[in-house]
Amino acid sequence: MNKVLLGLLVGAGLGALDGLTAWFTPEVRSQIAGIVMGSTFKGLVAGVLIGLFARKVESVPATLAFGTALGLLFAYFVARMQGKYYFEIMLPGAIVGLLTGYATARYGRRARPTEA
Amino acid sequence: MTHFPDTRRSLVTAVKSGDGDERARALETLAEAYWRPVYTYVRLKGGLQHDEAADLTQEFFARLVEKDWLARFDASRTRLRTYLRVLVDGLVANESKARNRLKRGGGIKVLSLDLEAVRREVEERRSSGERSPEDFFEREWVRSVFSLAVTRLRDRTTASGQEKRFGVFSAFDLEEAVGSADARPSYQDLALRFGMTVVDVTNQLAAARRDFRRIILDLLRELTVSDAEFRAEARALFGVEPPA
Amino acid sequence: MRLKDAALDRLRDAVRTPDLSGTRYRLVGPVAAGGMGAVYEVEDEVLKRRLALKVVDVPLDGETPAQALLGEAEVLARLEHPGLVPVHDAGRLPDGRAFYAMKLVRGERLDVHLARVPLLPERLRLFLRVCEPVAFANSNGVVHRDLKPSNVMVGPFGEVLVLDWGLARSVEAREFGDASGTPGFMAPEQAAGGPVDERADVFGLGALLGAMVRVPPAPFQPKALEAIVVRATAPDRSDRYPDVPALAADVTRLLDGERVEAHAEGPLERAGRLLRRHRVAVGLVAAYLLTRGLFILFRR
Repeated sequence: MNKVLLGLLVGAGLGALDGLTAWFTPEVRSQIAGIVMGSTFKGLVAGVLIGLFARKVESVPATLAFGTALGLLFAYFVARMQGKYYFEIMLPGAIVGLLTGYATARYGRRARPTEA
Repeated sequence: MTHFPDTRRSLVTAVKSGDGDERARALETLAEAYWRPVYTYVRLKGGLQHDEAADLTQEFFARLVEKDWLARFDASRTRLRTYLRVLVDGLVANESKARNRLKRGGGIKVLSLDLEAVRREVEERRSSGERSPEDFFEREWVRSVFSLAVTRLRDRTTASGQEKRFGVFSAFDLEEAVGSADARPSYQDLALRFGMTVVDVTNQLAAARRDFRRIILDLLRELTVSDAEFRAEARALFGVEPPA
Repeated sequence: MRLKDAALDRLRDAVRTPDLSGTRYRLVGPVAAGGMGAVYEVEDEVLKRRLALKVVDVPLDGETPAQALLGEAEVLARLEHPGLVPVHDAGRLPDGRAFYAMKLVRGERLDVHLARVPLLPERLRLFLRVCEPVAFANSNGVVHRDLKPSNVMVGPFGEVLVLDWGLARSVEAREFGDASGTPGFMAPEQAAGGPVDERADVFGLGALLGAMVRVPPAPFQPKALEAIVVRATAPDRSDRYPDVPALAADVTRLLDGERVEAHAEGPLERAGRLLRRHRVAVGLVAAYLLTRGLFILFRR
């Protein structure tokens, strides 16, 4: 599977799962549907971007760094919207970004060299 | 001895030959190769005096022919060298029985002198790591075979007018320099000594060694019966470890 | 005449030392004394380089060992591979002894080298490098027949060389019948003196692999590895890997954490293998779950 598609799927999947963990926070339980949709979408977008980066830059360490940074950034925006739970949102968000980066770099199929 | 057999026929076979000359030559070679090992072994194992040991050694070779002991030799079961040593063992055992009978009657105390001489010999050779009479037997056999080969080389080179070749060989490989046992004359020294160029010295030495090698291997073939025995004895002769 | 001990030793040495007069080589010193021949270090005076010269050792004097040595040279000369010692010259010395000159190998024997390789993956990678020249020779119709740790050298740059092709035979040749080889590393059909094919080398390599992982400090041996060794050293050659590349492929699978052909793994084993293989991803997921879990707990 190519890196972009892999990034999309992993990002969306992890995003959905991450969103579901909001169920453990009673105050936001009622908005769970919205949280999951938003988180999935966020993960999808991040995943595609990470996949593109991984394809362009054939370097595992660089992709990991990029994934972590992007995950952190997106999580920050979400936390801003809430106005609270910054740490609890950003830290797992960074790990999810790191995981997506690892998955695309390690398991994604290398882009075929274009014929001259 | 001026006639050299061209064949590499085993001595064991030649000793039974119909040709008197061939028989005599074979026995002479056999004796040359083995009398020193037998003598040393008899002295160390049997504890005999020099005269007794010398007599017994002569007797051994006489009986070897008289009783045709070589007829019973089976190359597939043992080496010739071992077979002969075992025969010597037998002879020594019988002799000591005879001597003990005398001792009970006479009580002659000549053994102490004899022990000293043997002890000195053993001390002398202790540095070469030999300890048992069997080891001495082997070492003396090696020495005898090499000595015999050197003699043959000398005779051959003299007969073909190549005395200088043997001279160079002898000076470089045989003589012990005065002082250190390791220091050998240089090629320059030899060139001066024999009135030839250094290149000649190198060539003559190489040729002599080549001849020597052929002679000693031929000699060994005479002293052995089978190919396997030849290879095993060659290892012992040249001090080579058997393959792992 | 009576020779003194010193003279005797000199003469013995003089007889054994190869006569290099008139050749392009100058003797430097002895290197090793093997089963078939002695190896000396020499200097090639034309090209000014050091070589190894293998000569029929004196005790073996005769036509058969000479032909065997020259046969070995021929086999090596035909096969050009980084894992095989290149042969530069062969023939007879002035004293009649057969010889061949080859690259001087500086390095250490495999079993000695392994004492410094404690990890299994490294040993397996080393083993794969041994398989390469053997597979190459097999594909050219030559079977080594004497593979063992003492016949493998590891050079200073980690390069692996398979030595001592003295028992090697062409697969087509029908004149077998000699049961030579090394017990423990010799395939049963070879010990019986019958015809052999590349599966004899599969056996030899299997036994070699088994030996390689037992040299102390011996690493832990997974069941899959044992299964590979068992299959490679099966007494009936039809039960072994069909050739050396197949054996190497299974070892590669083991190294990559994939399922090995020789071993049927249970579900638990499989789960363990997959976990090990993807341990980074598993670790990251665990980290995520841990972080989330901690936050939830703290909230309570």
